[in-house]
Amino acid sequence: MTRDSGAGRTAGADPAGAPSPAAPPAGRPPSSGAPPAVGGSGLAARQAALVAALVAGGPLPPGFAPEPVAAARRALLRKRAGDVARHWPLLAAGLGADWSATFAGWAAGRPTNGSLRDGWDLARELRDHGRLPALGAEELASREATTRYDGRTAPRPRRLPAVARAGGAVAVQLAGRVRLLRPARR
Amino acid sequence: MTGPSPAPTPTDPATGPGPYGIGIGWRPEIAGFVAGLPGLRFVEVVAETVSPAGPLPDGLAELRERGVTVVPHGVRLSLGGAEPVDPARVAHLAGVAAAVDAPLVSEHIAFVRAGGLEAGHLLPLPRSRDAVAAVVANVRRAQAELPVPLALEPIAALFDWPDDELDEADFLTEILDATGALLLLDVANVHANARNRGGDPLTLLDRLPLDRVAYVHVAGGAEQGGFYHDTHTDPVPAEVLDLVGELCARRRPPALLLERDGHYPPAAELRAELDALAAASGYPVVT
Repeated sequence: MTRDSGAGRTAGADPAGAPSPAAPPAGRPPSSGAPPAVGGSGLAARQAALVAALVAGGPLPPGFAPEPVAAARRALLRKRAGDVARHWPLLAAGLGADWSATFAGWAAGRPTNGSLRDGWDLARELRDHGRLPALGAEELASREATTRYDGRTAPRPRRLPAVARAGGAVAVQLAGRVRLLRPARR
Repeated sequence: MTGPSPAPTPTDPATGPGPYGIGIGWRPEIAGFVAGLPGLRFVEVVAETVSPAGPLPDGLAELRERGVTVVPHGVRLSLGGAEPVDPARVAHLAGVAAAVDAPLVSEHIAFVRAGGLEAGHLLPLPRSRDAVAAVVANVRRAQAELPVPLALEPIAALFDWPDDELDEADFLTEILDATGALLLLDVANVHANARNRGGDPLTLLDRLPLDRVAYVHVAGGAEQGGFYHDTHTDPVPAEVLDLVGELCARRRPPALLLERDGHYPPAAELRAELDALAAASGYPVVT
């Protein structure tokens, strides 16, 4: 039986992540020309361009060395994978040695919505493609029984009893307590 | 920038309420280990993981009852962001400081979000005049709401901005002078930056205002893909311990704290790292 309170989760905020292999970056070489003039609003725009290059598949801003920025992009994905694994331990455990590469392949170029939602979105995508491991299916079913998540906004606790299924797993939630009625197909 | 703010100095290390001696970053995963350290007087907690309104996490409350100093360490304020710091995040940090009766709090000289996107980690600022102005403005906004002094931590970065106007020592000193903030010096970051971005770590130590150090971070890392990564999930390398010795030979900081954030080793290995820190700094062992 898997029990999952679904409550009391705090965002992982550790300043470092676990080392692991990750997908290669998709950076472009820097374009030619001098960096734009720096002003108050200039800094904001340049910070936004850098973050977009690191997490959203944006082009490398002018003047940055491609290789170190690519290394930083990979390091961010590793850290994110570690953060998501803390929120979705069974999903990560179910994928085992494939976790880091699976997560990095999904997350590259996709900005985070927070570790809880990132793991949730990944679990649903794996489910839709028949690639969700049994442990992950049980974790997903348990989460969906306790918490309502529309895929666009922050998940909310369910007030009413609910049954949820994923990969053959069936979880039922009553008064906030969840129980796995049937394990996933193995 | 206007005149410097009144500059707090680190509290008297032997008798004051500030961090003293060898500490460790408190994390729920190692709460039992930390609780079992008999000589411990100082821990740090990631501020964003504590709710000021709710009860403290069990292990942390026990440490407070023992009189262990708890320093809230923010990681998501984004003090280096071009936009004004989010008042709600400052209020949260202030609330955590009150909840643990902290003598000071700490954050980073970095930004973590921009243009509506979360980077997920600490990113470096350009070492430019307008970046100094941005971080100074945000630090002052935070200081106005915080009940205790703020210590600022320079980060480890893998890359530089293309148009740095200042070197690292001048960049940091300008920010500290303009804000009166204390320095949280991370010697692992000093090592990582020297290794990845060039520069001599000892020259940097010689030029930093070491009299403003409130405490020091020490953490492990690993070489990967041609870079040294400040992972906090690997052992503390000998080069970082050597830097601790070099720092203490120049001016011993009031306290040094081991950061570990995952891939937790057996207790004996963590104890050995804490003992090595004590040996390198001359502070009493806490294990």
